[in-house]
Amino acid sequence: MIRIAAVGDVHLAPDASGHLRPALEELGDCSDVLLLAGDLTKHGTVEEAEVVAREFGGLDVPVVAVLGNHDHHSDQGEELSTVLGEAGITVLEGDGIVLDVNGRRVGIAGVKGFGGGFAGKCASAFGEQEMKAFINHTAEVSDQLGKALEELDADVRVALTHYSPVKETLRGEPLEIYPFLGSYLLAEAIDKARADIAFHGHAHAGTEHGMTAGGVRVRNVAQPVIRSAYKVYCLEPAELEQAAS
Amino acid sequence: MTTDQEPPQYAVARLRRALAEDPRTAEQGVRVDLRGEQVYLSGDVASEERKRTLDQVVHDIAANLKVHNDVRVVEAKAPVGQEELR
Ligand SMILES: [Fe+2]
Ligand SMILES: [Fe+2]
Repeated sequence: MIRIAAVGDVHLAPDASGHLRPALEELGDCSDVLLLAGDLTKHGTVEEAEVVAREFGGLDVPVVAVLGNHDHHSDQGEELSTVLGEAGITVLEGDGIVLDVNGRRVGIAGVKGFGGGFAGKCASAFGEQEMKAFINHTAEVSDQLGKALEELDADVRVALTHYSPVKETLRGEPLEIYPFLGSYLLAEAIDKARADIAFHGHAHAGTEHGMTAGGVRVRNVAQPVIRSAYKVYCLEPAELEQAAS
Repeated sequence: MTTDQEPPQYAVARLRRALAEDPRTAEQGVRVDLRGEQVYLSGDVASEERKRTLDQVVHDIAANLKVHNDVRVVEAKAPVGQEELR
């Protein structure tokens, strides 16, 4: 049994410092790893990252994160990753990590992701520079996610993004903004690599449960969606392998 | 300012943008509904203080509106139970 705790969109800043910590202190009793699905800060400042580092640093489980759009608002993504890294939090951006959980290898590949929309109703890299840049960014990070997933030498492979790979977990959000909430290119990468599960945030008004076209379970763990400090998902690798064969 | 002449759709759009772009709030997940001079806010934020700041930002843009702040402060407690994926 592999127990994955996850939360996204905690949007921390000095005014919310310490809010989550009481619920996190004994995380090791109910989980093996904590995933943070981006939007860790409110404005993406180093000061806010220090709040995140205090909130999630020194826990009794490893913490693996991706950044979200809010974390890029001050153009200091790298500085944020450094501050979090110094607190022992692994920040993934197009790469992966393999953790040993009770003798099982749990691989996590992470990327922020980006928007563009969903199959058949999405934007294309055509026309103005701005439009091409938008979609090319999505294509590039989706590609990184796919490669990072495929490179994981692990018993269980987990995809972690901020933006959503599927539209099912956006239910509750206005349809008109779906293209800003995620991209099917992320799901395509997840399906191609045959990941076991995918976690994302960003869609605060969305829905927890969804699935890719290829049948990979997707969970929107944005804190306003899960309505708690985190949620725990239990995976049984042997059973997942059976299901896949 | 929100004037009598401005269609409510534009007023709502302006308020939503302000709540997302004003550094005091930076909230993208707050819904704004306007009914005459009454504005209703809904969604979730991380603290009571952030909920109160929404009122200020709306007031700075449209002092004539009465704000009904139905925004919830998101739960920060440990969850009950877990999901078993098979
Ligand atoms: Fe968010
Ligand atoms: Fe976000």
